[in-house]
Amino acid sequence: MAAEKKVMALFENDTRAASAIEGLAGSPWKLEQVHSPIPSSKILSALKVKKSRVGYFTLAGGIIGFLSGISLAMYSGIQWNLVTSGKPVIAFIPFLIVGFEFTVLFAVFGNVLGFLLQTNLPEFRSLQVYDERCSGEHFGILATCPEGQENNLVAFFQEKGGEAKLI
Amino acid sequence: MNRILPALVIIGLGAFLFQVSGQHPEKAWQAYLVNFILWSAVAQGGLLFSVVLHVTKARWGRPLQGLAESFAAFFPISFVLFLLLFLGRTFVFPWLGGDLHGKDAWLTIPFLFSRDTAGLLILYGLGFVYLYQGLKLKRSQNDKSESGQEALQSRMTVIGVLYIMAYALVLSLLAFDLVMSADPQWISTLFAPYAFVKAFYVGLGALIVVAAIVHLRHGEASSLNPSHFHDLGKLFFGFCMLWADFFYCQFIVIWYGNIPEETSYIIQRTMTLPWSRLAWAVFILSFVIPFIVLLNKQVKTKPRFMISLCSLVFVGIWLEHFLLLGPALSPGADSLPMGMTDVLITLGFLGLMAMAVRFALARFPELLPVQKQEVK
Repeated sequence: MAAEKKVMALFENDTRAASAIEGLAGSPWKLEQVHSPIPSSKILSALKVKKSRVGYFTLAGGIIGFLSGISLAMYSGIQWNLVTSGKPVIAFIPFLIVGFEFTVLFAVFGNVLGFLLQTNLPEFRSLQVYDERCSGEHFGILATCPEGQENNLVAFFQEKGGEAKLI
Repeated sequence: MNRILPALVIIGLGAFLFQVSGQHPEKAWQAYLVNFILWSAVAQGGLLFSVVLHVTKARWGRPLQGLAESFAAFFPISFVLFLLLFLGRTFVFPWLGGDLHGKDAWLTIPFLFSRDTAGLLILYGLGFVYLYQGLKLKRSQNDKSESGQEALQSRMTVIGVLYIMAYALVLSLLAFDLVMSADPQWISTLFAPYAFVKAFYVGLGALIVVAAIVHLRHGEASSLNPSHFHDLGKLFFGFCMLWADFFYCQFIVIWYGNIPEETSYIIQRTMTLPWSRLAWAVFILSFVIPFIVLLNKQVKTKPRFMISLCSLVFVGIWLEHFLLLGPALSPGADSLPMGMTDVLITLGFLGLMAMAVRFALARFPELLPVQKQEVK
């Protein structure tokens, strides 16, 4: 198997980066990583990433939270007979507030958990190839190509308006 | 469509005249009041969308702003309809001649009509000034200097902020005078925000319907794309929750307080027949269904589907007005005091609103987000 070469390209805006990503899709070269200082919808649509499943974790967390909140309020009411100004011990109208607060809390937990699971975080290995400018105002694309084609890949990135260098 | 809309107006007018000259004129005036409040709210809330977008310098909904502004064409009609309420004052103000529970100085016909007329004049006047400046800006895009356009925009911002303030104050006044006063013993300080949030909710719903019709009719020529419908749908969803939240905020305070003069209003409407069924219908149509359906992203971008959903919400809010006013205007009713004439009168108002919007879009084509065809 021929050795692979890595090329890192930096772009000043996400439109050019997205165009380069789309260009790579129809080429013999392989897109490895994209580094972006901001969440960019253009890059996301160019990468054609699958729909995130984090929302389902959030929804499940919210539903569990709502039921937990209502159950906790009911349990507290029954356990200590918290009679307030002649109101029923189990009264759903005010318990809705506890349910709502727990919905928000558990939905956040579900969201964070889903995010960690779906992105395989935490990641303890640091990135092997990284340009610090990608934490500033540049968008980075790391691609690999078979040995001997690196100049073509560099030229491709330069044609797309990027600054490319061989790693 | 050129014949349908005037026909609807004539049918509505005919139904109203038939009912008002019959044995139960109070039913005709009840339908008139309900529809006056609902359709005026659509116009007031519709224009508010454009104003809020301008004041916050939001760019995402620019193609929708013109459509929202077209609702202002209903303002003169709404004003005349309000003045005509005077003719039915003995039917729409059940507190006349009754115990006013200390509100005697506030609830008098001359004072009520003069303050509400003044309020509507200010609100609609500001709306028209905003609209005038907006049209001037749209027409002078090419031939005015940058500084001239900036001056126009900042003038629109000042007028827009004033419109927003007038919107909150005047709609509060109308909610107190036309709806809450029907039960003079009842007080809820949150009733006014509840009313003007509801007006924005239905205004957004109407805007979605108009935008969807424009999109379906003009297809790709319209500059409306799925992301516009998605964002508008999110805003609609947000105000659906805010409206329900404001209901709950009032409800829980009354529930905890447990004061008979406050609880009687809620008990009559939610726990006694025939009104309790209507209350559930309102809750399901205007909150449960849109809440569950709008959790989904895809449906928000489907114009045909959104027309159906917004129509359901509309029916729910229309019923909600009957729920708020019905027990006071038709005391001791065994069955819901609603019939075919109510539907026909409502169709008449729908025709009036549709004609007003069509007139505005035809008279001022720059409001329509459709790319002009090149002249060959």
